[in-house]
Amino acid sequence: MTDILVYALHYRGAFNKNSLGAVSEAARLAGELGGEADAVVVGDVGDDLAASLGSYGARKVYRAAAPEGLAQPVVDVMAAVMTDHDVRYALFGGGLLGFEIGAGLAARLGAGVTMEVTAVNVEDGALAAERPILGDSSISTSRYRGRGIIIARLNAFEIRERGEGPATVEDVEVELSPFSTQATMVRRGEQRGADVNIEDADVLVAGGRGLGRAEGFQLAEELATALGGAVAATRAVVDAGWYPYAAQIGQTGKTVAPKLYLAAGISGAIQHKVGMQGSENIVAINKDANAPIFEFSDLGVVGDLNKILPKLTAAVKARKGR
Amino acid sequence: MAERAAPIDYGPPVDPRAEFIKRELDDPAEQIDVGVAIVGGGTAGLACANRLMQLLAEDPEMAQRLGEVPVAVIEKAKSCGAHSLSGAVMRPDALRELYPELTREQWREEGFAFGEVTKEAVYLLPGATAKVKLPTPPPFRNHGNEVVSVSALARFQQRTAEERGAYVLTETSAAQLLVADGVVRGVRSGDKGRGKDGEPLPNFEPGTDIVARATVLAEGCWGHLTGAAIGEFGLGEGREPQVWELGVKEVWRVPRPLDRVIHTVGPWPLKLAARYHQIGGTWIYPMKDARTGEDLVSIGFVVDLEYADATTSPHDLLQLFKTHPLVRGILEGGERVAWGAKALPGGGYWSMPRLTMPGALLAGDAAGLVDTVALKGVHHALRSGILAADAVHAALARGDHDLSAYERAVQDSPIGRELYQVRNTRQPFSKGFLQGGAAVNLSIATKGRFPAGRIHWHRDDAREMFVGDSAESYPRADGKYIFDKLSSVYLSGNATRDDAPNHIRVRRNVPRAIAETWRWMCPAAVYEIPDGAPADGEVDVIVNYTNCVQCGAITAKGGRLTTPEGGDGPLYRIT
Repeated sequence: MTDILVYALHYRGAFNKNSLGAVSEAARLAGELGGEADAVVVGDVGDDLAASLGSYGARKVYRAAAPEGLAQPVVDVMAAVMTDHDVRYALFGGGLLGFEIGAGLAARLGAGVTMEVTAVNVEDGALAAERPILGDSSISTSRYRGRGIIIARLNAFEIRERGEGPATVEDVEVELSPFSTQATMVRRGEQRGADVNIEDADVLVAGGRGLGRAEGFQLAEELATALGGAVAATRAVVDAGWYPYAAQIGQTGKTVAPKLYLAAGISGAIQHKVGMQGSENIVAINKDANAPIFEFSDLGVVGDLNKILPKLTAAVKARKGR
Repeated sequence: MAERAAPIDYGPPVDPRAEFIKRELDDPAEQIDVGVAIVGGGTAGLACANRLMQLLAEDPEMAQRLGEVPVAVIEKAKSCGAHSLSGAVMRPDALRELYPELTREQWREEGFAFGEVTKEAVYLLPGATAKVKLPTPPPFRNHGNEVVSVSALARFQQRTAEERGAYVLTETSAAQLLVADGVVRGVRSGDKGRGKDGEPLPNFEPGTDIVARATVLAEGCWGHLTGAAIGEFGLGEGREPQVWELGVKEVWRVPRPLDRVIHTVGPWPLKLAARYHQIGGTWIYPMKDARTGEDLVSIGFVVDLEYADATTSPHDLLQLFKTHPLVRGILEGGERVAWGAKALPGGGYWSMPRLTMPGALLAGDAAGLVDTVALKGVHHALRSGILAADAVHAALARGDHDLSAYERAVQDSPIGRELYQVRNTRQPFSKGFLQGGAAVNLSIATKGRFPAGRIHWHRDDAREMFVGDSAESYPRADGKYIFDKLSSVYLSGNATRDDAPNHIRVRRNVPRAIAETWRWMCPAAVYEIPDGAPADGEVDVIVNYTNCVQCGAITAKGGRLTTPEGGDGPLYRIT
């Protein structure tokens, strides 16, 4: 009982970033536990795609015929695999679907469950999951007597390619419960209101009230396009109706961790910071040199957005030869 | 410079009697019937619920008659205590009376009491580094009192009330008072699941008429339905207007235990000159957490809301106060673990409205039962809850709606006696600290016999505001010792959903002096003045109502706080 099972979600022939993070993390943890990390996929997944999870550290990929994107069928499949193969832990990369499957699985197996996990450690040959509580002011650690279901906060786990060979793909037959087949998938699609899923973007240009007015977002959009990224926003500008809620970052919006987070006209209140502090590189442009954002930026520019953003866009375009 | 302006002239678009009183009850099939409806699961409301359940345990016949839900407590916060905040040093008698079986050690093990006061000190602060120890004036004598957290106390009271059979409906706001034929019939709970513009969202649930044989308004400060009831039943006639104070508080985990309760009475960092009209004081209380062994300290700043300088900010004044060596010596090396803000009624005896109306009564802060000279109201809130329960029980036994016995019971109890004694103690300050100080001392020294008679005062919102320079001395936040408002709101646990409807009624276009007043006063950074707003003339105020921690101060300075959707607002735990 030292193995870890991960559910890998896919859409249009590619695995979800957070699922890959969960596979990578499971492989790291399984290594320390002396077990192995395996994955479950459902739906239309080719051999090559399924086996590609091996490069993130998965040893075995269990593939079942079940609809992708719904929770209950996956609960059936994972419960069967965990029981048949005596798997102790399940790990999810987060997201609403992960929450729903994880909760269902915990109920089905009588397992312990922890949500919104930000870090997992090995302690005395078992997993211990850390979860921020009380508005992220404290950390609570969960340990499991028997089975443990760990559901991460989005972007909690880093994707690591381990340069290992393809995983073994094993088809499993699981009889779905009658109640699991009541819902059917009508259509899968991208999140409403956002052209790009900002949680998956490597580059985000985020706009705050410093952009001055709704039209100011055009400057952010042009720069994001030039950089090949997406546009995000603060609560203040979403409140003011300058940009759709789907792009909101922060305590009551989304949590993101792109490679580059360019904050344009954002003061950097803690409510915003908690949604983007995991970003690899933070660049801030603000006219107020005292803005809190400069305290956690890698690069800070004090100046006028209306002048800097167009020049930056032009420079990026020139560099990329467009 | 911006023109002077009085908030009262820029009142909010609201008609309490039309909006907050519901005169037609829903079809009986859609009502919820309860015995007694208690609005507010705070110190007073839950004392009332606990006492009522004790009385009903001895009177099973009446419990039977009251039906399936003999007592319902309606609380807007996520749990009882989550919106409760006080200093607080409590006189222990009323709590002992409510829980005679509990020892003070048990209070501490329950996590709401933090030790008996054995030493105390009162300081005059002449400036940013100086201090002068004063002989402790009588109102500040706290020997034998207990440091408590009203937030934790309410959680404890909720548990005992539920164990005794009361129903506590959390995340439920009381949006309207039900009044039919001149009698209060209960309350209507607020709608849930409305969007920004009031439109029903997919999870919309309309409110329900909660019909009760008696209603206890224990909404604290500032009571949404209490305000409507005072207007509807003329409860404020012949009384002085209520005036308010605003307290901002932090709790710190400190490296060394503090051995005494400390009060400072200014003048620093306030400006006492009549022009600024800032009056206030501070507290620092030791809190020993018996369960964890940790040394905590409660520190707070209270400002009278009749000040004139629009840039008066109680939150920033607390931060400024923390830069005094007296405070640094206590807090430095520690960590801030909680923050919150709450308004409190400051008028005392002469401002108390009439406490009863047919079918309902007022208890605790909603009734104005606070002695703001000694900074004490917790024991009055508890006792008024107990007396309210007795009066309600008696009326139910008689089968009528007459609760006026409560009015007399409060007057004859230690509440009435103590508040009467300090009835004229606070008001002389409105003449300015130095001129008023002598009158205050006289009043205290004579146990309230002088000055005799009744002193009149004005509403806080009638004060003309000007944009002064108080803000120039506020320290810059460093995120470690000095904090800005937004990170403080974050620590309060407030995460109201962004598409909730606005529950704060204010005019959006107001003169700059009013806009600046709101911007600086609000501890939660709700009010913002847009960049590029005109220096003079009208300003379009941005209202970030989801930041609101429901302190209630806006009601004293030209706006009106109404109840938000149930469950919104802060999550106080040890404030």
